[in-house]
Amino acid sequence: MSRKRVLLLRTLLLSTSRINKMKYSTDQRAKNKAIAGFVGVCILYLMLMVYGIAACVGYGVLGLIDCVPVLCAATVSVLAFLFTFFKSNGYLFAFKEYDMLMSLPFETKTIAADKFLYMYVASLPWYVSISLAMMIGYGIFAKPHLLVYPVWILLTFVLPVIPMLAAAFIGFLIVKVSAGFRLKNIIQMVLTFAFVILCFSSQYIIDALIRSGDTGQVLQQASDSIEHAGRIYLPIAWFSGAVREFAVWDMLLLLLVSVVLFELVFGIVGRYYRELNSALKSHAASKTYRMTVQKKHSVVTAIAYKEWKRMLGSQVYMINGSMGEILVLLLGIVSLFVNFDKLMQVMLKGAPVSAEILFPAIPLIVYFLVGMVATTACSPSLEGKNYWILQSLPIKKKQIYQGKMLFNLCLTVPAGVFSTICLSFSAGVPLVNGIIYVAEILALCCFSTAWGCVCGVKYMRLDWENEIEVVKQGAAVTLYLLPNMFVTMGVVVLVVVLGLHMNANLLSLAVTGLALVLALLSYRRVMRF
Amino acid sequence: MAVLEIKNYSKIYGGNKKAADNVSLVVEPGDIYGFIGHNGAGKSTTIRAIVGVLDFTDGEILIDGKSVKTDALACKRITAYIPDNPDLYENLTGIQYLNFVADVFDISAAEREERIKKYGDMFEITEALGDLISSYSHGMKQKVAIISALIHEPKLMVMDEPFVGLDPKAAFILKEIMHEMCRKGAAVFFSTHVLEVAEKLCNKAAIIKKGQLIASGTMEELTHGQSLESVFMEVVNES
Repeated sequence: MSRKRVLLLRTLLLSTSRINKMKYSTDQRAKNKAIAGFVGVCILYLMLMVYGIAACVGYGVLGLIDCVPVLCAATVSVLAFLFTFFKSNGYLFAFKEYDMLMSLPFETKTIAADKFLYMYVASLPWYVSISLAMMIGYGIFAKPHLLVYPVWILLTFVLPVIPMLAAAFIGFLIVKVSAGFRLKNIIQMVLTFAFVILCFSSQYIIDALIRSGDTGQVLQQASDSIEHAGRIYLPIAWFSGAVREFAVWDMLLLLLVSVVLFELVFGIVGRYYRELNSALKSHAASKTYRMTVQKKHSVVTAIAYKEWKRMLGSQVYMINGSMGEILVLLLGIVSLFVNFDKLMQVMLKGAPVSAEILFPAIPLIVYFLVGMVATTACSPSLEGKNYWILQSLPIKKKQIYQGKMLFNLCLTVPAGVFSTICLSFSAGVPLVNGIIYVAEILALCCFSTAWGCVCGVKYMRLDWENEIEVVKQGAAVTLYLLPNMFVTMGVVVLVVVLGLHMNANLLSLAVTGLALVLALLSYRRVMRF
Repeated sequence: MAVLEIKNYSKIYGGNKKAADNVSLVVEPGDIYGFIGHNGAGKSTTIRAIVGVLDFTDGEILIDGKSVKTDALACKRITAYIPDNPDLYENLTGIQYLNFVADVFDISAAEREERIKKYGDMFEITEALGDLISSYSHGMKQKVAIISALIHEPKLMVMDEPFVGLDPKAAFILKEIMHEMCRKGAAVFFSTHVLEVAEKLCNKAAIIKKGQLIASGTMEELTHGQSLESVFMEVVNES
């Protein structure tokens, strides 16, 4: 790597690491926050490792330990692709310090490549946690040769490169296409959504084709699918070959292809870098506005409307903030045309459950998607340096938060209610149950909004360098997202199991009541900030 | 040879919006060149194109005879850019940022030490260089950006509204530095709205309106004994 590449990467890492803040900040609270954030992230990595080892134990007990290297490579590759795809454009293009970097004597290729390398280094602990956990699990059951460990560790660092490059290159193509349009942001969002939906649907189609629905063979089928993935996506096979059979050629291939692809991708991206950033960062004023009749809004509505415009102006915010709503709307529409049983079979990976058992889970499945991200968890931080605008206005803090909550409700409620009604209709849910489910999703949306706001305000961070730091990686979003996802999955299972033994409607009403109480408590907490 | 030569430069947004239309001007060594215009006239767009940040549609921009389009790196090595609102790395300390820029320009340890000390003391910011940039005021950030621009002794210094946010003493020092640079054969090209500053400081100026250069030349040629303000109002209203 060239001197300048190392220098820029080092500076990028230093400028976003907590170390500098801990070392040089004179604000003790900021220091404590940085330390707490570091500890929190370490706990997350640890949890991930425990989960990884537990998964391997499961495979080991069932005698499927041989497929663990392939499973590890597949997991790391998929995660690396998804993590990168959702944030690559925010990192690679139109970032805050673009002018400063471009005015310095760096090659455009160096800047683009370093931004990518920064993403790689920053996300590496996730992939290393997963891979090391699986290596430990594999080591316990397969008892491989000692040399497997250094090879596994070395290749762990190489494995995410190719999927990350693929995701970054697709992101680049999306930017390249959208840069030619006047409404570049919107085109970029549409193309990104289209790609994500294509990925999701193809995954389900492949799953549906491979699986027979016999749950006794679910794990065996999973292992078959993973092996199958290795045949389609060669780096998985190379990793597996290198660690299972010490195939030096496989190891070299993985290394070589990663390096060659890296140079190739950034050769191409570097060539168009200035042109694309110019298109993304420059906007000519149309100067065609004519004064029309203006409307008066309440403070809360005005803040909610401002939030909407903020979202439209940021591709990162738009994609991450509305992905759940788009998916849930699609699910609702699809459910009107596809038989509910089939849909659930695909979604639940062929688990042997009848449609009726799943009735009480409908609002929770909808909530899983619609409540995946609450804009309230990141919108306080997204104010960033513009927070002074709201702070200097003669409004109370609680009005700001109410506005932000109203905006999230405007996003989640219509999508959630629509999808719940569609799914209930498709499943043939009785009317009374349907009404209860709509009430349940409403209560869940309220909870998600208010709880998101608690996290967002409590862990508000205004000194970010890039929106992604608060939209995807912020403490507030992590604190909201992970427990919410896992608890929802747990409640789905609980409701289905308990539904077999007691009145399902009572169960739904209990969930609704609980969600409302939690929403109220969270709301009151927000009002006290 | 001209330090900066802009030949028939045009920048078109979205297929038909002209931000700059056939702009040509020459900045010679020793020039302090003021670039004047309304808000949205095309000043910042032109400046960003000069420093290689922004792509442009037509024409040519040469710095010390080298093309910004085809020889960008060579141009950037002898140019310094100070934006109107510098976006520095907030979580670096001032000294870390200055060292980063010095490393990019491959400045020796002794030279950077001497220059940082010199300009840091002039701008009375040396003692704050160990603090995080995020704790700086706008003016302090501007001072760090100016020091970082001077660290490699550029042949051409390009500035967008450099006096905004600077205290009177810092503004005076910056003007002194600009004069000193020009005495050594470098050149300064900057945009400003403060016509009194431009009139007193610059030996040449250009007025841009709706992307078109409507007047340019030496200060004497432009003003003919009138104030720059009245000339500006006259030509802007005429065209």
